[in-house]
Amino acid sequence: MIPMKTAVQPQIRKTYDSYDDGTQMARQIERYPLSFTRVPSQPLIERPLTLSELTGPMGIEERLGVEKLDLSRGAAGGRAIGQLISVAGRVTDEDGSPVAGAVVEIWQANSSGKYIHELDRFEAPLDPHFMGQGRLITDSEGRYEFLTVKPGAYPVMESGWWWRPPHIHFSIFGPSWMNRYVTQIFFPGEPLNQVDLLLNGVRDEEARQCLIFEARTPAMGSVKMLPFERDFVLRGKHATPELL
Amino acid sequence: MMTPSPYCTIGPFFPSQFSEGTADLTRHDGRVAQGQHIVLTGRVLELGGKPTVNTIVEIWQPDANGIFRHPLDSRGAQGDPGFFGWGRARTDAEGRYRFRTVLPGANEGRCAHLNLMLLAIGLTRRLTTTVFFSDQPREVRDPVLECVHDTAARLRLFALRDGAVDAEAALGYRFDILLRGENETPFFLD
Repeated sequence: MIPMKTAVQPQIRKTYDSYDDGTQMARQIERYPLSFTRVPSQPLIERPLTLSELTGPMGIEERLGVEKLDLSRGAAGGRAIGQLISVAGRVTDEDGSPVAGAVVEIWQANSSGKYIHELDRFEAPLDPHFMGQGRLITDSEGRYEFLTVKPGAYPVMESGWWWRPPHIHFSIFGPSWMNRYVTQIFFPGEPLNQVDLLLNGVRDEEARQCLIFEARTPAMGSVKMLPFERDFVLRGKHATPELL
Repeated sequence: MMTPSPYCTIGPFFPSQFSEGTADLTRHDGRVAQGQHIVLTGRVLELGGKPTVNTIVEIWQPDANGIFRHPLDSRGAQGDPGFFGWGRARTDAEGRYRFRTVLPGANEGRCAHLNLMLLAIGLTRRLTTTVFFSDQPREVRDPVLECVHDTAARLRLFALRDGAVDAEAALGYRFDILLRGENETPFFLD
């Protein structure tokens, strides 16, 4: 056996605290069968955070295109059918500091509850004027905004009883591998929210509300879109990442 | 302090366009990446060895010299301009994924490795693991690998030489992932 050196690691200030598990979605959810065939049976292993986990793809817009996003307008220029809405918010870290330049991927069903995807077998019509997906980048204050139509509900074909409430998918590239984030955001006041297995998989009531858009009262005179807002808090305190 | 937003699954319909052209890391900004090019392939399987379809596999790694393209890496400015370090692939009907990338160099205090994460229907949060290379020298005790105490499980974090060499003379490595079941892949707590 060749004796190995003990690893000399640069000491990195702890910028990622652990969090209360009840504020995150349960890993296994009763009556959600795939969570029982896909979630590891062994406990997740604790590891130290080295440069490898604390860095991550920055400037990813160089690889993936970003645009001023309007999902409600197809390539031909016509408007998609459905309730026109605007979605906006702010991406911050746990200290509330803005995450500027975060690339955000967005995808959703059209107003009939149909995705533009070969695996979607739901017998609802596609809308030629609906984009369904796109990418944008947050500004210097961490803000994002896009236009779309409100997505419809749709059945989970395999279950025969579970209808997903209207929701929009978000995938966000924070500044490190630790805050690569994906989620679904729901609409306020939807009856299906009460029985959705995923939304109700977040035990903490306050945290669950973080997965629901806030409906903003349209400004007087505003006649374009119904406004919705949702802020995101990424893991970590990124304003002061430093090596000691 | 604010509470981090809850994760949720990507579901079954992650757009295929989001994975177009993202699995080849050997080219960036009109340049070819330095170092040994490799083809990393494998299957993502669930309980019972069944393939998972449209699972999103993302990797993050240093360049051939072990440098991360990131301001936290003191050598970041000397990173390979032809290498970005991030890639995404999705699994097909047989659960297969495929990346073209470079063999990562060892960053200080670590053995050569790359970070891999999985997003899929059924996973309410992402799963993260670390891929090491079976035929690469291990000059230090890797602090992440050392956290895996089960010897058999530790071996499952190594990509194996696959023998296959593609037309552009990239070395083949294979890394299969079993999400759940006997011999499941070890995953780390974020």
